[in-house]
Amino acid sequence: MKRTSDGRSKMEETAEFDPLDLAVMSHAVAMIAEEMGTVLERGALSPNIRERRDASSALFDVNGTMVAQAAHIPVHLGAMPESVRAVRARKPEPGDVFILNDPFHGGSHLPDLTLVEAIDIGGEIAGYTAIRAHHADVGGMSPGSMPQGATELVQEGIILPPVRLERRGVPDESMMELILANVRTPEERRGDLAAQRGACAAGAAGWRALVAREGAPRLTAACNALLSYTERRAVARLSAIGDVMGRAEDWLEGDGFSTDPVPLAVKLEIRDGRLHLDFKGTSPKVRGNVNTPMAVTRAASLFVLRTLLDDDVPTNEGIARAISIVTPDDCLINAKWPSAVAAGNVETSQRVTDLLFAALADAGVAVPAQGQGTMNNITFGGDGWTFYETLGGGQGASARGPGPSAVHVGMSNTRNTPIESLERSYPILIDGYAIRRGSGGAGEFDGGDGVVRKYRVMERCTVTLLTERRARAPRGAMGGGDGTPGRNLLNGEPLPAKCRVELEAGDVVTIETPGGGGYGRAR
Amino acid sequence: MLSTPADQSEGVAASLAALGAPPSSVRRVAHGTTVVTNLLLERRGARVVLCATSGASDLLELRRQERAALYDLSAHHPPPLVDADLVVAVHERRTPQGVSVALTPAEATRVADAVAALAPEIVVISLLHSYDDDAHERMLADAIGKRLPGVAVVQSAEVLPEIREYERTTTAVAEGYARPRVSLYLQHLSERLASGGYPAPDVMTSGGGMRTAAEASSAAASLALSGPAGGVVGSAAVLRAAGLDRALTIDIGGTSADAGLVLEGEPLVEPGGSVAGVPIALPRVLVETVSAGGGSIAWIDDGGALRVGPRSAGAVPGPVAFGRGGTQPTVTDAHIALGRLDAARLSGGVTLDAAAAKRAIAALAATLGAAPERTAEAIIAIADAAMARALRRVSVERGIDPRSCALVAFGGGGPLHACALADLLGMRTILVPPHAGVLSALGLAIAPERRDAASSVMRAADAVDQGWFGARLDALAMRAANASAQRLAWHARVRYAGQGHELDIACAPGDDGAALAVRFTAAHAARYGFTLERPVEIVAVRVAATGDAVAVTFTAGTAMRPEATGQRTLAGPHVETLADATMVVAPSWKARSLPIGGFMVERV
Repeated sequence: MKRTSDGRSKMEETAEFDPLDLAVMSHAVAMIAEEMGTVLERGALSPNIRERRDASSALFDVNGTMVAQAAHIPVHLGAMPESVRAVRARKPEPGDVFILNDPFHGGSHLPDLTLVEAIDIGGEIAGYTAIRAHHADVGGMSPGSMPQGATELVQEGIILPPVRLERRGVPDESMMELILANVRTPEERRGDLAAQRGACAAGAAGWRALVAREGAPRLTAACNALLSYTERRAVARLSAIGDVMGRAEDWLEGDGFSTDPVPLAVKLEIRDGRLHLDFKGTSPKVRGNVNTPMAVTRAASLFVLRTLLDDDVPTNEGIARAISIVTPDDCLINAKWPSAVAAGNVETSQRVTDLLFAALADAGVAVPAQGQGTMNNITFGGDGWTFYETLGGGQGASARGPGPSAVHVGMSNTRNTPIESLERSYPILIDGYAIRRGSGGAGEFDGGDGVVRKYRVMERCTVTLLTERRARAPRGAMGGGDGTPGRNLLNGEPLPAKCRVELEAGDVVTIETPGGGGYGRAR
Repeated sequence: MLSTPADQSEGVAASLAALGAPPSSVRRVAHGTTVVTNLLLERRGARVVLCATSGASDLLELRRQERAALYDLSAHHPPPLVDADLVVAVHERRTPQGVSVALTPAEATRVADAVAALAPEIVVISLLHSYDDDAHERMLADAIGKRLPGVAVVQSAEVLPEIREYERTTTAVAEGYARPRVSLYLQHLSERLASGGYPAPDVMTSGGGMRTAAEASSAAASLALSGPAGGVVGSAAVLRAAGLDRALTIDIGGTSADAGLVLEGEPLVEPGGSVAGVPIALPRVLVETVSAGGGSIAWIDDGGALRVGPRSAGAVPGPVAFGRGGTQPTVTDAHIALGRLDAARLSGGVTLDAAAAKRAIAALAATLGAAPERTAEAIIAIADAAMARALRRVSVERGIDPRSCALVAFGGGGPLHACALADLLGMRTILVPPHAGVLSALGLAIAPERRDAASSVMRAADAVDQGWFGARLDALAMRAANASAQRLAWHARVRYAGQGHELDIACAPGDDGAALAVRFTAAHAARYGFTLERPVEIVAVRVAATGDAVAVTFTAGTAMRPEATGQRTLAGPHVETLADATMVVAPSWKARSLPIGGFMVERV
């Protein structure tokens, strides 16, 4: 591809773009991200990806700006652009495929393996595709790689800064061998990574077809227009709320070593159609693994803004332009190497979400009461197998009605594992799976109920629990009652919110997830 | 004919009479129905009591735990078809290793009593792992049958003998929920037709086949997507008549567009789909609906972008040009403003007000600061983009390259949008069928009888030998067989051990697991672009027994081809007014009339 006089490649040229065609282009790019997700979900091996859809796909333009994301999982929302930025910092060649999971170089927590392909068109990079999926094991100190009690990142699994899995389209088998040698279930990982690779390729093919149809300069102009448009929609919504300010505080129930509350605080301002967040007052980094990198904090902030927007606003990097975030350096929610972070991604992200909704409520913006505020992470690991899942609970009620029961709230939206699939694949029987009746807070509208799930293990194994809202209840709003906090039990005896326990055959682990807060005074 | 919600069979019978044909000249009454769809949408079905394994009796409320909307935190899923107080927990348990808690006769009696106390219209039984062994379901059904003679009992393993308890349960519950009303409706319809001297009706299933009214009465869930299936079946017939075998289909109506897929001359039928929040995992003609149609309203959002739909002006008030009170410009108005719709010929007697359509478009254009003509073009392009996305979804998700397909474009708006859609998807051939406006009815008229049966396998492919497999397929065929079944088509649902999605692999007696594994591996590579070094697993087998399609001859002089008055070639740009639709031949496209009626439109 020829370079123009100013040294830019053809792909970076822009042309005039008629804003009348915005909706057309929005469809075109969203379609590609959607197709990537389909290829991944249908081809993946592990239940966590294929059944529970703990994965996201995204498409990036030639400048590495995210133009579309197909997300089932909000926690991946704002985080994928950092992956592509980290890859671009490594000077990719056209056709290179990178893999990464380093939370401090484009990742979130180690089990999320992200593949990034630099799309090759005529020997130039024309854009990027990225696929993130939560893998059931990436090594480290405990099966499932969601350890309890980790104090540094190296304990949590293999760390992959952006490294090449393929160089100019040629697979690097030795890199794959290195990765698989460091995980507990290499064949499953190989299968899932093949599905991720297939999904990246499908996205690249879609992008090539779009470039062929539209021409690179026009496509680049269209992407820029689409990002500005999305930003305008976010700004329009925030402007409609007006200039407001709110504050909130919340606490994590310990860092996995102690149960001392870990504070989070925010000052939220909406000013001139922009959302400004200052997390001053949030705890410094902690010893356990509830820290998060900045990417996760950004994702939670984006999610909260996204809930204020109409559903039809496209998901791309334009939304992020309406938010500015300030955090203390190397703190709980902007942790740096060598902090451990496995639980932060799943639990602290939920608490940031609760915190921001509370601040919005304080600012007078109508938001629902608190939902379960946890993902209830459960990992079983035995000889040659690991099984990870998260559980839904109660959503908070709102002025519009009662809170939904037995759903994921906040930063997760994975599906459950069918009992019949689980029991065929792992030495676990589900002794019970039910709505936890009455656990939602009472109110004019009641909060949603949590769930109860009982796992009977059929052989020796370990269970690792990373849960929250076991002590501090999800709060009601406008006089509504609090939801019932969750409980973890082993053979009927209480277990801590965060723990790792050796199990004998026949042991029963019971998880009762929190109910959502009620809304308005009960009559 | 106005529909008669109280008893739709009345409207059907009246419509037949209105045709004026003597009943004795009517060879077949073929019926596509939305009765089940509406029952589910309006939650007007039967009082169902559900019997479920103790400890797993909240499945309907638990769903799959994902929320109704990712970002709308107050959104609820539609309520379950069975309230919690109508679920009876059964003390029994099967595991993959065998029975862990036996169902005792005493427990079966206790459950039957509990069910009776709830006064059900119909009972559904769905027990864990019943796809593997349905002995407990059968035993319980016997006990309930004895306790409540005259009340039908639906067993999940009979409706859908496949792994995954939630989808199996919702499918079985949908069957129970719809069956009493559907069966009553079909009984009324049959009686009315009989008293008028007409033949007994056949009913189209979601799978695009016909069942007799009597059979359809006890296969209610299989009618849930009956409505849109006819168009794809009709498309397949016209496609074959035109000598083609692979197509994407698009049926563009007033409020929505339906995309479908035809492979090897047959509509693509696969399990899945959901109606009104109820997953129904039975075979259905693949149809994806998008809210883009002639009535879709063009508007400007708060980011300043021109948008089309999802709101539709529907039939009333309809497009501005219809003069029925519509004030917001629609896709149809954009076509009229561009002179693509003949004001004199549209919509049975509607007089079009082209000037009003132009005024509405011009007003929108002024807000955007754009030229009216360009705005009209953009409105159509946006609708095209939404439809192209649906067409890509149905094809690419199945590993089919749209460029390898023809496009069958029908419904009132299909031939208007066909060239633009084909251009977007890189397709080279478009088939505009004769009577593009009523192709669904043609599909109904010709659809063969079809019966489906399935059974669970859940075995590693290398443990499946020829003898065992052949016996399994023969047994299935016996279950689906009927007098008119001329053709048996078997499919195995196959996956890599551990995967959660299966691929349907054609098979027949004489195959063994190894042969299936080879075909599966090739299919996996074609669809997903990769294969795995893993054991292959056969999850289930299905058979479809079909009769002969009703023969239709597309010939000159029949009512099927009023627009073909000899061989004609129309080079684009050109607008051709057809009997019940308008066809746009875009620049670089050329249409030629077909001997069977309709047009083949090809890229020059």
